[in-house]
Amino acid sequence: MRILVIEDETHLREQITQQLQKQNLTVDAAKDGEEGLYFGSEYAYDVAIIDLGLPKLSGIQVIQELRLTGKEFPILILTARGRWQDKVEGLEAGADDYLVKPFHFEELLARINALARRASGWANSTMRCGPITLNPSSQEVTLNESAIELTAYEYRLLHYMMLHAGEVISKTELTDHLYEQDHDRDSNVIEVFIKRLRTKLDPDKTLNAIETLRGRGYRLTLERVN
Amino acid sequence: MLINKLSLSSRLLIAVSIVLTAFLGLSAFSLNNAYQASTDSAQQKRLKNYVYTLLASADFGSHGLEKMPEDLSEPNFSIPNSGLYAQITTGDEIVWQSKSSLGLFIALPDHPGASKEYLSTIMLNNKVKLLNLAYGIVWENEQGKNFEYTINVSEDLNVTNQQKAGFHRTLWYWLGGTGLILLIAQALILRWSLRPLHDVASDLHAIESGDRTRLLKNYPTELSQLTQNINTLLDHEESRRKRYKNSLADLAHSLKTPLAVFRGELENSSNITDIKQTGHEQLDRISALVDYQLQRAATEGHSSLQAPVSLGDIITKILLSLDKVYQSKNIRRQCEIQRDAFIHADVGDMYELIGNLLENAYKYGDKRVNVLVVTRLDSIDIHIEDDGNGIPKYARDDIIKRGKRMDTQVEGQGLGLAIASDIVAAYQGEIKLEQSHLGGARFIVSLPRQ
Repeated sequence: MRILVIEDETHLREQITQQLQKQNLTVDAAKDGEEGLYFGSEYAYDVAIIDLGLPKLSGIQVIQELRLTGKEFPILILTARGRWQDKVEGLEAGADDYLVKPFHFEELLARINALARRASGWANSTMRCGPITLNPSSQEVTLNESAIELTAYEYRLLHYMMLHAGEVISKTELTDHLYEQDHDRDSNVIEVFIKRLRTKLDPDKTLNAIETLRGRGYRLTLERVN
Repeated sequence: MLINKLSLSSRLLIAVSIVLTAFLGLSAFSLNNAYQASTDSAQQKRLKNYVYTLLASADFGSHGLEKMPEDLSEPNFSIPNSGLYAQITTGDEIVWQSKSSLGLFIALPDHPGASKEYLSTIMLNNKVKLLNLAYGIVWENEQGKNFEYTINVSEDLNVTNQQKAGFHRTLWYWLGGTGLILLIAQALILRWSLRPLHDVASDLHAIESGDRTRLLKNYPTELSQLTQNINTLLDHEESRRKRYKNSLADLAHSLKTPLAVFRGELENSSNITDIKQTGHEQLDRISALVDYQLQRAATEGHSSLQAPVSLGDIITKILLSLDKVYQSKNIRRQCEIQRDAFIHADVGDMYELIGNLLENAYKYGDKRVNVLVVTRLDSIDIHIEDDGNGIPKYARDDIIKRGKRMDTQVEGQGLGLAIASDIVAAYQGEIKLEQSHLGGARFIVSLPRQ
């Protein structure tokens, strides 16, 4: 899952970025409104975190501009002034949720996960597809109720595929959502990850959890249990 | 521009002076003209009368004019250089002349025609200007012979000119005097009428320098609205200043407890997990205190100067926002707002009040939230209820107790409700907490409309 963070306060931006990366999320951080808008329009994100008081272009303007150009990813606004008028203005502009500074990181993470789930049609905090469950807050993955160990990129891959279970996901889409913008991308790596994930999720090769659609991409075939 | 900087009294004085000068000048001009015209016509009438008198006293016989009386009824005809002269001529020959006109020749060369008159001014050698009326007569004797005569009556113009000049002078003296008096009166009236403005200015100055806190005098009706508003504003500022001060003091005070707790923990505990835990708890507390006091200080409070705001608009916007944020809860909400739900209040305060109460309902409600706004004659009632677990009876009073500081409030109760009841108190309203028939809490806020 790839997250855009637009926050002008350097410390806070770095803290959020690091914490989110620790949670195995792909993070791009922008330091002002203009840069943030550029990232938001250029790359594919699953959730954006936007501070309202930004230099160059205000948070509200960034949100309006993103929505105007058809970007539909969920947006969480951060505001230092907890005034309702500001919150309402941000939500009216197109944001989906707000968080007042200072906040607990757990709270931020919970909101991000909730927004991402909501956007992809999941109701519960733990996603379950067939025998597989994934809990984004604890980053625990289970197969038939027993925990399985995944590497960081395997987890990222599974998280994204579970969010979009049932949908066909192209390799480009996967690289877009798994890597930061300045990362060296090689789509062959995806194939390797998919292969490893298949072995871990389906050691007996009975489940056929991930199907390959030639020339189109991959699909998690397991049924969502909401 | 310079003209924009002129004081009110200068403006009035300049305007009034211009109008007064123009008015007096025009009246002088027209009065003078009227006087001149009337003296001129009176003089002509007089000359004509003299002609008729001469005509009546003349004896005409078969040889034409035969005799004129020695003394005429007008004595000036007999006094030399009296300024009134008469001559009767036929052709170039003077047939008769008054004693006053001896040595003068005032007759016209031409006969003006029978019963015709001709008015002219004559300049004599000694620079004396005369107004001359020549009247032509034709006398026909029994033989049918015609005798043509011209009766000339002249009057010295200097006399009338002096009269006119005298009038002119008097007129200007009077009008000038009147104008001056009017201007002085005007200046005095202005001073007197504008005095309250000066008073307000000096009172404001006194307030500025701290000698006074309000405008106290009785001002004229035109100003009382303004001064009342200034007083309202001053009171509003004063109460806001007090609130700032209190909030600051409260904040400083209330921060001391969590700081003390944390310091104590740091000094007494060697367990890093405990210290971290306490640190987190106290930081949260500090953060909540800052939020709360910031909000308290930002509350505008009631003031009659505020424009009316639509509660319907605010509630709708907040509901739409909350629907978005609490999308996953799928809250079914019912909202009934009377059309005239307007209130003189600060928009930010109303957002804060309603936002906090509604968020509380969305947060603790299960599936349903109801909003009802009822307007009464002098108040607006806002009912907000949910179908959550409600608030136990014993805790209700504490939650909505007026002016109760957050740091002394029941543990576990949100910041939002404390802020809401503070705002209600700032507007001299009432907040009640009941059991809703939906099962949860029902907040009833009643705010005075004025």
